[in-house]
Amino acid sequence: MDKPAARLTPASRLFKYVVSVPPFVFLLLLFVAPSIIMVFASFRYPGEFGGLAPLFSVDPRTLHGVTLETYRFFFSDYIYTEIFVKSIFMACATTLICLIIAYPLALLIARSPQKTRNLMVLLVILPFASNFLIRVYAWMIVLGPQSALNQFFNSVLHLFGIAPVHLLFSPFAVLVAMVYAHLPFMVLPLYTNLEKHDPSLLDAAQDLGASAWQRFWHVTLPLSLPGVFSGSVLVFIPVLGIFVIPEILGGTGDMLIGNLIKEQFLVTRDWPFGSTLSIMLTITVLLIAWIAARLGARRGRYAQA
Amino acid sequence: MRILLAVLLNLLIVAAHAEDVLHLYNWNNYISDETIARFELECTCSVKQDYYSDNEEMLAKLAAGASGYDLIVPTGNAMESLIRQNALRPLNKSLLPNLRNIDQAYLNTPFDPGNRYSVPYAYTLTLIGYNSEKIREIGLPVDSWAVIFESRYLEKIKGRVTVLDSQRELLASALKYLGYAANDVNETHWKAARDLIIRAKPYWAAFNASSYIKELTLGNIWLVHGYSNDIFQADLDAQKAGRKFRILSSIPREGAVLSLDSMVLHKSGPRPDLAHRFINFMLAGKNSAELTNLIGSGNPNLDALQYIRPEVVQNPAVFPSREQQAHLEMLRDLDRHQRRVLSRIWTEIKLR
Amino acid sequence: MRRHNGRRGAWLWVAAVAVYAFMYLPLAIVVAYSFNDSRLNAEWVGFTLHWYQVLLHDEDMLIAASNSLFIALLSSLVATLLGTMAGMAIHRYHFKLLDFMVLTPVAMPEILLGVSLLLFFIQVLNLTLGMLSIVLAHITFSIGFVAIVVRVALAALDERIFEAARDLGASPWQTFRYVTFPLILPGVIAGGLMAFTLSIDDFVITFFTAGVGVQTLPLRIYSMIKIAVTPEVNAISTLLMLMTLVIILLASRLAPNIFRGKF
Repeated sequence: MDKPAARLTPASRLFKYVVSVPPFVFLLLLFVAPSIIMVFASFRYPGEFGGLAPLFSVDPRTLHGVTLETYRFFFSDYIYTEIFVKSIFMACATTLICLIIAYPLALLIARSPQKTRNLMVLLVILPFASNFLIRVYAWMIVLGPQSALNQFFNSVLHLFGIAPVHLLFSPFAVLVAMVYAHLPFMVLPLYTNLEKHDPSLLDAAQDLGASAWQRFWHVTLPLSLPGVFSGSVLVFIPVLGIFVIPEILGGTGDMLIGNLIKEQFLVTRDWPFGSTLSIMLTITVLLIAWIAARLGARRGRYAQA
Repeated sequence: MRILLAVLLNLLIVAAHAEDVLHLYNWNNYISDETIARFELECTCSVKQDYYSDNEEMLAKLAAGASGYDLIVPTGNAMESLIRQNALRPLNKSLLPNLRNIDQAYLNTPFDPGNRYSVPYAYTLTLIGYNSEKIREIGLPVDSWAVIFESRYLEKIKGRVTVLDSQRELLASALKYLGYAANDVNETHWKAARDLIIRAKPYWAAFNASSYIKELTLGNIWLVHGYSNDIFQADLDAQKAGRKFRILSSIPREGAVLSLDSMVLHKSGPRPDLAHRFINFMLAGKNSAELTNLIGSGNPNLDALQYIRPEVVQNPAVFPSREQQAHLEMLRDLDRHQRRVLSRIWTEIKLR
Repeated sequence: MRRHNGRRGAWLWVAAVAVYAFMYLPLAIVVAYSFNDSRLNAEWVGFTLHWYQVLLHDEDMLIAASNSLFIALLSSLVATLLGTMAGMAIHRYHFKLLDFMVLTPVAMPEILLGVSLLLFFIQVLNLTLGMLSIVLAHITFSIGFVAIVVRVALAALDERIFEAARDLGASPWQTFRYVTFPLILPGVIAGGLMAFTLSIDDFVITFFTAGVGVQTLPLRIYSMIKIAVTPEVNAISTLLMLMTLVIILLASRLAPNIFRGKF
């Protein structure tokens, strides 16, 4: 409940500041400021040996000042936009597959008795708690050329007369690992939503003669859409920025935005361009979040409390 | 508990900063443990090492503010960058009497005229390594870069070839094959090289800078674009594993890249005195030879020749003849605009 | 109340088991091969503890582990402190801006935070990357998690307790110390444990802010994966998983609501 501001005593106000100010200042310095720096960095020239060129310089020959050069460079060749599009497709595919895999599980958890539910949710979270690199490494083993899976797969292909294939270092491997790493992010919001569904609605539908599939399609699914949206956003956005998975499990052509950004900062030493790419990624993320918020708000009107 | 011990070790190391510690920032696998141990005995100090696996990583880390290194071992073009940034301390030649051991051909490079800042340490060539038996069976000409770039050769070894995952190195080989200099910065030439690479890419198994050694030894990969010391290592491993084939290397007639690594003093290093002692120590033939015997890197130290195993001395990939030396080029640093263009070309190569 | 299970229920169970298998099999394989007497993670040869012995003698790994522990302890302590404050400020005083600032580092792709911190540390602070930069970075992304957990814990409390305390003449500080804090303590600890786990496991942000000379476990695992994979990686992975398992189980006891997905 809202407490009217007039009831705040001086002691209350002091307490309020003591509690609010330290985290605020910390995040201002270590999150807001760096983000602003990044925006500015995208308008600078690259330093002669890496990093950023100075803003001001007494020597007129040294490159300094602000420029739109990096943005022009970004748009000068289709290739960078292409990588963005590829990354968005990868994120879409990952989100879709996560949704298809997570939904039955979330449904089952939501329909289970309370005690089992907690255990099942914990079992979903536990793999997520392990180190991200370990989870990626696990797929290196499972998909490796000497692994049982790969050999099985190739022997099946052999039956059809198709040449053997490397499962690892391919877009397939990248997709599998992306789904694997983000599955809990889809399961939990879905489950949270499904759990709140009023079972009497389904009872009523059944009474009205709806089949199981019809009950799902016309009752459960529409009501679960807010959960679907939150889960999708929680998967889509991180996937856009990942570089580890394509780097370790992907083939040479599997470059996503994250890989490009990492390369600019740690290999090419072109910090302005790296910042530009980061800004473009941020804009993409904000756009997605905004779209999801709009879609979620519209659908939310139909959801049960 | 070992972890507690490690924590204590950490704290002790911090305390040891005050003592005699030489901070060395070197390539992975670029010095033998015996050499370090012997130096530590001789100077009654300890050596703390950090490693990098390529120049770019080292430069990026230094640009990101890493400091406290007394000694770094950069390749020529990276060193050029460091010199121009004024990041290095000039050498005190009077502390380096063993400098006279170095072959004149490796002194006075365009990166550091007069060797004000650097002393040659070792060198490697980027050349072709191959499985002796398989390639002989198929009958491919390994004396030219064509075997990596031309489809008429590549189709016989499809999926059995790897190239280095290095922007500069791969482009340099392509440029050399097309008849240009490795240091050519003409964008049209770069684009021609790019197109050549993209045409050859489907036949290559991977862009690989580290595990190709293992693949050569196992016999999965038959031909590589790689570093001379890596190929030397693969050959040793193959012999140890009792393979029926050898891993040989060949310097293409169009020329190749020579990477000369030198020892330099970083301005932020706290112990230039220890660094000078180390440099002088490494300039002694016996110590310098240990690295060559271990990994097959080229050695610019004339005094070292007597300590190197004869079969290594005879190996032209380790000690190229004067005639072959004429075709070798050392890569120069690129300016920021060129780096940006190269980055885009590399992205296109990876993607298309 | 009727349940509409029947055949559909069976399908759901099959699907759910398949998904759990998908989630756990790869990790089980990592653990299994850590005991495998073979350099290659290909087929089972025999049981051995060899790789764990290699691990215990790997000095670089031990130093990385001690660094990781130190960083995690320090950053989770500070993050818990700041995150609890933030949780209170957001819940009690509806500080929306802080809410945004706290949650965005959590929601955004990690690479953006890593890269912006790299820029900030080098360009503005001229800070040499090392322990300090890593700890600061870890605190930044951990605050959000702690704040979420604390906020949920606060939301579960009955508001009337605070009114009662106020009516009895308690100052805000006294209310916090004697009423609020003891009640949310399990949540605070759970948040702290999560922050600890996040810090130990973090790779991307540490990758950009670590500089040279300071290795953490994830950084070391990464370089091992890239350069030379041996089952030693499996061994350290197994140990790490064990540790996070214990921590998460602990945290789930303390803040059951979070682990029911209610946030």
